Amino acid sequence: MENKETYWSENLRLIFICLAIWFVVSFGLGLLLVEPLNAIRLGGYKLGFWFAQQGSIYSFLALIFWYGAKMNKLDKKYHAEG
Amino acid sequence: MNKHTKVAFMVAPFLAVFGYIGADFYNEHQASKSKIVQLIPEGHCDIINQNCVLKSGDFKINISDKAGVTEVNSTFPLDSATLFLVDALDEMTAYPLGMQKSPYYWRSNTELRGLVSNKGESYKLRLIAKIKGGQYISEFYTQTTK
Repeated sequence: MENKETYWSENLRLIFICLAIWFVVSFGLGLLLVEPLNAIRLGGYKLGFWFAQQGSIYSFLALIFWYGAKMNKLDKKYHAEG
Repeated sequence: MNKHTKVAFMVAPFLAVFGYIGADFYNEHQASKSKIVQLIPEGHCDIINQNCVLKSGDFKINISDKAGVTEVNSTFPLDSATLFLVDALDEMTAYPLGMQKSPYYWRSNTELRGLVSNKGESYKLRLIAKIKGGQYISEFYTQTTK
């Protein structure tokens, strides 16, 4: 029972980390900080614009695989594969 | 691909849609805030010879005059546009421009051509263009070059 609760709380922690990164990348870098970031150029594109158009999507994909890998480890740790 | 990755892939599109809706609300809210932005002439301004562009960032306004009809063409749709001719005593004559085929095109008959028809003549103008509570203003001179 205790194991189940720890597993769940670690899972929730991971989800909140993912959501926080999702928020920072999409709203933070792509919207709220877009003007200062646009002063920086990346391959000819303004960085704020790049984050809004492509960077956030790359980050979301990376987050999915990172979350999957971390959960895999968690499953093994708590013998929750199934 | 483990089950967690599959679930994450299923959840991600919903987050993307929420993000899109949130960003849209935020941008609309920002755009409706009242603000005043100054437009600066891009190079030499010669309205009579169709060579006058005012700009601020990505927003540009092109002003030209054809046969006494002064036209304003902007990169974003305007809610209204008013052109002022300012004489030597700093007194203004206002010309509220009328919308043409779309909110990108505004025009009005003005006295400008009669005032700066000869080469070298210049005249002071002011422009106020409104977009969703934001005011784009400019004070500039047109000088006829040929």
